[in-house]
Amino acid sequence: MRLLLIEDDAILGEGLRDFLRIEAHVVDWCTTLLQARALQAEPYDALLVDWQLPDGSGLEWLKAQRTHGDHTPAIMLTARDLLADRITGLDAGADDYLVKPFEPEELCARLRALARRSAGTPSGRLRFGDVEIDLASHQAWQLGQAADLTAREWAVLEALGLRAGRVVSKSDLERLTVGLDSEVNSNALEVHISSLRRKLGRSLIGTVRGLGYRLGG
Amino acid sequence: MEPLKTTTPAPALPSISSRLLRSLLVWSVVLTVTLSAAVWWSVNAEIEELLDETLQAAAQALSVPLALDSAAPAKLLGQQAQPDQTPVSPADKRFVWQVVRHADSAGQPTQVLGSSAGAPSAALYTTATLGLSSSAHWRIYGMALAGGQRTLYVAQDSSERSEAQLEVTLAAALACIAVALLALLGLRSGMRKELTPLHTLAQRLSQLDVLHQAPLGRAERRELQPIHDALDALGQRLERRVTNERAFSGHAAHALRTPLAGINAQLAVALREAPPELTGRLQKIRAASDRLQRVVTALLALFRSGVDIKLQNLSLSEWLKRLPVEGLAISFDDNTSPALQADSDLLAAALINLLDNALRHGARTVAVSQPRPNTLRLHDDGTGCSSAQRDALQLAVDTQSYEGVTGLGLMLADIVARAHGGRLHLPAADTGFAVELQLSGDL
Repeated sequence: MRLLLIEDDAILGEGLRDFLRIEAHVVDWCTTLLQARALQAEPYDALLVDWQLPDGSGLEWLKAQRTHGDHTPAIMLTARDLLADRITGLDAGADDYLVKPFEPEELCARLRALARRSAGTPSGRLRFGDVEIDLASHQAWQLGQAADLTAREWAVLEALGLRAGRVVSKSDLERLTVGLDSEVNSNALEVHISSLRRKLGRSLIGTVRGLGYRLGG
Repeated sequence: MEPLKTTTPAPALPSISSRLLRSLLVWSVVLTVTLSAAVWWSVNAEIEELLDETLQAAAQALSVPLALDSAAPAKLLGQQAQPDQTPVSPADKRFVWQVVRHADSAGQPTQVLGSSAGAPSAALYTTATLGLSSSAHWRIYGMALAGGQRTLYVAQDSSERSEAQLEVTLAAALACIAVALLALLGLRSGMRKELTPLHTLAQRLSQLDVLHQAPLGRAERRELQPIHDALDALGQRLERRVTNERAFSGHAAHALRTPLAGINAQLAVALREAPPELTGRLQKIRAASDRLQRVVTALLALFRSGVDIKLQNLSLSEWLKRLPVEGLAISFDDNTSPALQADSDLLAAALINLLDNALRHGARTVAVSQPRPNTLRLHDDGTGCSSAQRDALQLAVDTQSYEGVTGLGLMLADIVARAHGGRLHLPAADTGFAVELQLSGDL
């Protein structure tokens, strides 16, 4: 999943970014709302937002995002533990609320739950013909045979799986799988798509000429 | 099993109403007695004077015909001649007269020349006695007739006079008692009415929320206004203090929780990246960090205990499963009520620390049960403590003198129980250690 982490505490932000990357997520980390606003046009699978930030309220920022039609799932990460705060956070548009201190493993579990909800599959498994994808274990099978996928191939498959049936543009797919910190190789995406087709069948990922790619449908 | 130590109930406070009533009663009795005595004395003197004047007037009236004719006494009634023929009524015996000729130097004996029907046959006096005087049974007025040769005695029965005086005195006393009783009832009713604003004030204070309530404002009675003013000022001070504490706890929460979350995240990364020989040490650091987090969470909960109690209906068995204490098996007695009404966060902070205590005292299992509604009992299989230690702990908890006696766990659990209106009890246990968290005051 490509995640936007907005957290001003350097130790926590860095720790979360590194842990989430180990868990095969693509993470862009901002320490201010100003930086977050600069990434407004970027596609993300989930937002991780701290409430109190140096240049404003993360909650107000999220509320504004919802007002502008951004429905990207969001988790509030905050030290505010009162019931009233949790209700306010969820009512402002957050899909989940995690009180600090928390274990990063719990954050990952909540992200997987968000992914299941986004993909509309309570079990976390997606099926497209003879291909099955498990969002929790990062595995895919064709005719029951596990496919050996690289991290980047999985990122592409997951990004398309979370948007199953919808066309994802090439640029969006590149940004969803690479993030801001890495250089994008112009041919890399085609190479990963080609590899996925070879491992899971040619019909799994369709090309919509001039627009992008689509999983299923 | 040793009996659970119980605290002696505080003696009932003296009641202003009862004390005033008692005082009123005493003063009513004193007033009645004093007033009755004064009336008795005054009426007695007046009646005595009135009856004496009546005697004198009667003597004056009788003296006129008796003075004109020396034989008049005998003619007047003739009782001397035929004493047994006319029946004598009790009234005749109460008011009598005699005309007496007293013995003289010539050797003439004292002789009753005439008398009324109920008069004694013997002369009231053997020697002439003029004016008002009293004998054993009579009040007598003597008056000289015929130049002093005869004496007219008009007498009234002393018991009749006493009876009249007693009746008047009793009537006066009864009237005084009736007035005193009426005054007592009136004062009692008035006193209750005047004490009503105090009850109203007490009710308002019992439901007072200093953060969300308008000041008490104008009192119903002038005497209560200083109390209203003082309470309003106290409320303002409390409000400022609570607001400051809330702000502080908010800042403290942010300042403490965020670095702890950072430690967690960095440790989680380190555990993934560290070589195998370092994993054990990192796991220990993580365990210490977990404990630190529980303590910090508990301390933060302490700041807001008693301020924001959010009661919820908790499904106990499900809720207990979420308590993050590793290395301790929690068993739940299925026979007890599955529901509990409590502030989830505060109760979690208290229980996590109690369970942490159990773990540090060698416990491996904790049995959770509900001995009474809204009371949680935790009984572990740890090393426990002696009954003397338990008594000392209970005393510290009862008197809230935690410092140096209880640890954070018991102190927090007691504060959380008190915030719910209940108390913490440490019942005797044959093995291990038992704690009862009473979460409401009306048990």
